[in-house]
Amino acid sequence: MNNKKGHIVLWALIMYLASSCKTVNITNYYHRHQSILDSIELVYTQAYAHKPFSIEFTDRAFDRVSLELATDTLTYIYEFWVGEDRMQDTLRKYGFNPAPINTLIVLMRSVDCTWANNLDYYTEERKHYLTYISLWPRAFNFPFVNKKYYILTYFQQPQYFDNEGNLLAGRKLRRIRKINAEVFRRINDKVCYTLSDRFR
Amino acid sequence: MHKLIPLLVWTIGLASPALSQKGYSTREEALEWLNTVHLPDTSVYWPHVKNHLFLENLRINVIHPVGMYQGSSTNFCGYAALSYLPLNYDPLQYVKFMLALYTDGHANWHKVKFTPSPEVMLAAGTLRFKGVLDIRPADQMWFLVLADRFRSYLNLFHAKFHTGSEDTFWAACNLGKFNRMIKRMMGYKIKAIGSDLLRPGIKDVYAFLQKAVHTGTTFLYVNNTYLHVKNHNKSRFSFPTHYIVLTDIQKEDDVLTIIYWDYGGRTLRQVTTSFLKKILYGVTYIVKDNDE
Repeated sequence: MNNKKGHIVLWALIMYLASSCKTVNITNYYHRHQSILDSIELVYTQAYAHKPFSIEFTDRAFDRVSLELATDTLTYIYEFWVGEDRMQDTLRKYGFNPAPINTLIVLMRSVDCTWANNLDYYTEERKHYLTYISLWPRAFNFPFVNKKYYILTYFQQPQYFDNEGNLLAGRKLRRIRKINAEVFRRINDKVCYTLSDRFR
Repeated sequence: MHKLIPLLVWTIGLASPALSQKGYSTREEALEWLNTVHLPDTSVYWPHVKNHLFLENLRINVIHPVGMYQGSSTNFCGYAALSYLPLNYDPLQYVKFMLALYTDGHANWHKVKFTPSPEVMLAAGTLRFKGVLDIRPADQMWFLVLADRFRSYLNLFHAKFHTGSEDTFWAACNLGKFNRMIKRMMGYKIKAIGSDLLRPGIKDVYAFLQKAVHTGTTFLYVNNTYLHVKNHNKSRFSFPTHYIVLTDIQKEDDVLTIIYWDYGGRTLRQVTTSFLKKILYGVTYIVKDNDE
């Protein structure tokens, strides 16, 4: 009898952990690396305000970096090795300040951050911006299994959430907001997370 | 590769619509006509399309056609690619068509009659979380109406529009359907190569695409999981998923520099010939106007 009860408790525990590990992992990951993640957001937002761009690591070793440099006429997509001189020349050529981008590369590599971008979203016809950060923790790198990414979104204003912590479209609009077709959940008033099989 | 940059800056000038292609109306004519339009406050046919956003949307499209955006996570890329033709070569016809749709609930584009389904009429103006498409009701109407009117085998199991159908096979557009839309609506003669499953096997892809770009507007049907990588999975689908408008191509050694319109703006990137061959499933380009 005791053995049976023990099995039930064990199963219940496994089911609980399986259903909640997503929350635990991402929020834990965020709190563990909060200072670096917040710095990535800050440096990226400031650099983006100077001139828009997005940044991506294209390989598992975080040695190849791809930059999407937006200008008035075109978006240029270039890929470089980390530390390559060519990258600095290219950034200067298109009027980008290399310093914050170099800082971002160091910060992003330190927390397995694979993508940082700025997205626009709309509330009652008004345009807002958020910073979209994708993390590819090494624990997710199982062979033959689709890669999973932790996604963090940094909003400029506090957001509205339902009782379960799902991000809502607005105070009046009690509809769940989707970003890149994903539902996001609350970490704090301005930061949300999700788990996705796409980093962008 | 880096030596190419000065050359690339020069080529931006070539990234405008193909010169060999005749325009039927001008941007100025379209704007002038739009200024004479008085819309009713609401449309009985399109209850969720706000008239001020609708008119503003049309003006933006005429003034800045490269800004048209298909919407995040939607399958509207085929219809967005098609838009390149009317917005650049016949903006007056485009705005007249849209206005007729708004006020009458139906409209003709040349010989093609559009009578949108009630589901689509209710949905236009309600699509959300798609980026700037959220506040572009005219674009929502345009994409929905095209997807509703032109059907193909890809849409077989998604006959009717339901909420969220814009992200599903309901809106998918295969190469045959895409070519059919250009021919029937726009009245252009086209040359097309490729298919929905097999690559076209072009021997000299650079020479072929360069000739196409200099002949007329050139559309590429590509596997977007390689062009616009969204995950690091090693195994990816081997079929095309996306349309882009190629506006220029240059070559140095084995590096191809392509400039393409990918909705919302133009992009320049450098790829190898083998990469381009790998992602390319179809090429369609305008050769000559039917009525010439």
